[in-house]
Amino acid sequence: MSKRDSQADVPQDATTPTTDGTGLSIGRRDFLAGSAAAVSAATVLPNLKTAKAQDGSPVKIGFIEDESGNLSVYGIQKLHAAQLAVKEINEGKTLKGGANIGTGGYGPLASYAANAPTISKEGVALDIVNAGGEMSGDATVFVEDDDVFVDSGDQGILGREVDLVSVDGQSNNALWQQLTRRLIQEDEVDVLVAGFASAEREAIRPIVDQFNQLYFYTNQYEGGVADANTFCTGPVCEQQVIPVVQYMVEKFGPRCYTIAADYNFGQLTAAWTKAFAPLVGGEIIGEEFVPLSVSEFSQVIARIQQAKPDWVMTLLVGQNHHNYYPQAAAAGLSYPMASTVNMAQGYEHKRFPPPSLNQMHNAIQYQLEVPTARNRAFVKRWMDMFPDDEYIGEMAQNTYFTVHMYAQAARLAGTTDQETVKRALELGWAIEAPEGAVFLEPGTHHCAHYIRLAVCDENHDVFFVREWPMIQAWWLQRLGVNLVRNPEYKQYVPDEDPFFSMFG
Amino acid sequence: MEEFSLVISVAYQFGTNAAFLLLCALGLIVILGMMNIINLAHGELMMMGAYTASLSYQAGLPFPLCVAVSFLVVGFVGAVFERLVVRRFYGRELSALVVTWGISLLLSQGTLMVFGPFLPSIPIPGGSLDVGAYSLSVYWLILIAVSIAVVVALAWLYNRTTFGLHARATMQDAAMARALGVNTGRIYMLTFSLGAGLAGFSGALLAPTASIMPFMGQQFVAPAFITVVVGGAANVIAGAVGSSVLLSLVRTPVGFYLGAFLGLVALLLAALIIIRLMPNGVSAALQRWSDRRAQSH
Repeated sequence: MSKRDSQADVPQDATTPTTDGTGLSIGRRDFLAGSAAAVSAATVLPNLKTAKAQDGSPVKIGFIEDESGNLSVYGIQKLHAAQLAVKEINEGKTLKGGANIGTGGYGPLASYAANAPTISKEGVALDIVNAGGEMSGDATVFVEDDDVFVDSGDQGILGREVDLVSVDGQSNNALWQQLTRRLIQEDEVDVLVAGFASAEREAIRPIVDQFNQLYFYTNQYEGGVADANTFCTGPVCEQQVIPVVQYMVEKFGPRCYTIAADYNFGQLTAAWTKAFAPLVGGEIIGEEFVPLSVSEFSQVIARIQQAKPDWVMTLLVGQNHHNYYPQAAAAGLSYPMASTVNMAQGYEHKRFPPPSLNQMHNAIQYQLEVPTARNRAFVKRWMDMFPDDEYIGEMAQNTYFTVHMYAQAARLAGTTDQETVKRALELGWAIEAPEGAVFLEPGTHHCAHYIRLAVCDENHDVFFVREWPMIQAWWLQRLGVNLVRNPEYKQYVPDEDPFFSMFG
Repeated sequence: MEEFSLVISVAYQFGTNAAFLLLCALGLIVILGMMNIINLAHGELMMMGAYTASLSYQAGLPFPLCVAVSFLVVGFVGAVFERLVVRRFYGRELSALVVTWGISLLLSQGTLMVFGPFLPSIPIPGGSLDVGAYSLSVYWLILIAVSIAVVVALAWLYNRTTFGLHARATMQDAAMARALGVNTGRIYMLTFSLGAGLAGFSGALLAPTASIMPFMGQQFVAPAFITVVVGGAANVIAGAVGSSVLLSLVRTPVGFYLGAFLGLVALLLAALIIIRLMPNGVSAALQRWSDRRAQSH
């Protein structure tokens, strides 16, 4: 046991600059030792707690979101999420999870038997000796854990109270840069949680890197950020685009028409759709990029009618674009729709009268309606704190579990020293979020997520037709990104991946 | 039949494009075109129209009545602004620009604080008409008709009534108008109030096609200014009609065959070229053309 305790200190030792002189990289031996230490994480945690409660000053979580301006609809939700998580941390609560528990997930949709089936030990044919009785039902193999919300055994983080230092980015990229500098240099925050639009993230990332600030970006986005200081906890294209495209092709047919917001998120997500549709038997018969200032869609609608697709991929962003849905419904456009953003973020199905969003399909990792006991418990905790809120969107949930995950990593690290917490996060971190189990993959700083295919019906009720309990964010792995061994500070785009033009 | 429905669809797209520009511009025609106030709160006045419409729709009023209520409420708000703030800045264009920008910030952020990020939408009235492979929204057909009717009414008001005469006189030479017994203070207030009311009116009309949010007004500001500025000041109403028709003539075919992005590029390019070729706007060119025709007779 004593040997293991000493190994638990390895993540801190790893901050010592390694021979290549970057001060950020971590040697393979250190990394392996760190992984070994993580096995004993659960046993080590109580010791650390008493040892490290030395400093009485609060832990500062720097937080920037758009509380006013064009994007405030998303920003206010995310602020509330952070406030809820901070309150829970200060009350000594946490979500289940820890370093290196691994990619959890509970299993696929299946029939279940009354008793566990018995399989023959002879040969490799997996003969069934006893099927366990009548198939007694059809369900997701899933024991609903409503006690993922547990005591942390800590008050705040390491006995220190947590302060949320929250500022308003006002949907203004220049202001985002100023505020980032202020939080890092004046407030000296221990961690930065910030960013909605990709443009905002790219505006502040150089500043984050200049100061080696520990930074969490909690949005769903187009993917590709490989940055040793940045941890991306939202889902990316490979986790959403391919599942939804596959389902749409199976259910409605191969011919897809894409309309997308004309900036990097829309362009890159459309590129993913175009590259991967052929792999599942689909084809893109039309593709159109709509400037963010366009709010009147009669021409786009006429073009879709002219093309006669089997279904429409809508990757529309912002208040102007949301007008597409009621306008298309009023013009009698009734094609099934797919998306990776709409409904789960801007809750268009709650804001527009039915049936504007009828037949919208989105492969989401979270939206308010996720039908599990742990989510119901989460929604209840949220609504007790913010009774006037109308919706909890996917990014709000990401922000919530991210703040809890930071607290856990700092507890394991035994310090809020940023380099040490980064090393602790790079053990690989699993957390039982309201969506399901989430696994922070250490090499790419991206998360594997529980993905569900949400469908909106004509009354704007939501049901879930397919589940993927754990989809990896695998694209950066294919590109050979490993931030633990080779720190980088860039964003990859599909053009840098030869696979994108192979099949299209 | 296929070609017939294509022609109908393109004509409909042209109509919606032109009606959208005209509706955006309605209030600005009066406030910028006639009073020469660069009103950056124009979008927020339209937003207030949409909010009033949504609130009164939720209260159970039928939609046409909601539009009328929006016209009155926003018109009243306009009158208040004119009395308290705007009248101190007549003749000081740049000061007025800054002040109306301040008002726009107050209105949009205030709305966010009071009503939150959204208000429930209004369902789009009327269904759709099928024409071959295409379909037309009945509501947009109504909007096309309404925008024509309002422009005609506005032209009548300014050219055929005493109020219109006094208003034109005041805008041309306030001192002389006052000397002739016109209560110019009252005319200024009524004109500004009318412009605000029209902005509220078109905000309410466009509300069912839009998300009702504190910052929704911004989407209407650029089309409104482009329409009025391209139209020019010689005859604001005719100019706005002319510019919305011209700009839509360019935008519609490009947008339909090459996509929304190039459609928007074409519209902006057309605006650039028109302002270059006709620095005083479409209306000045129309005026010259009709003057020349009158001389040759």
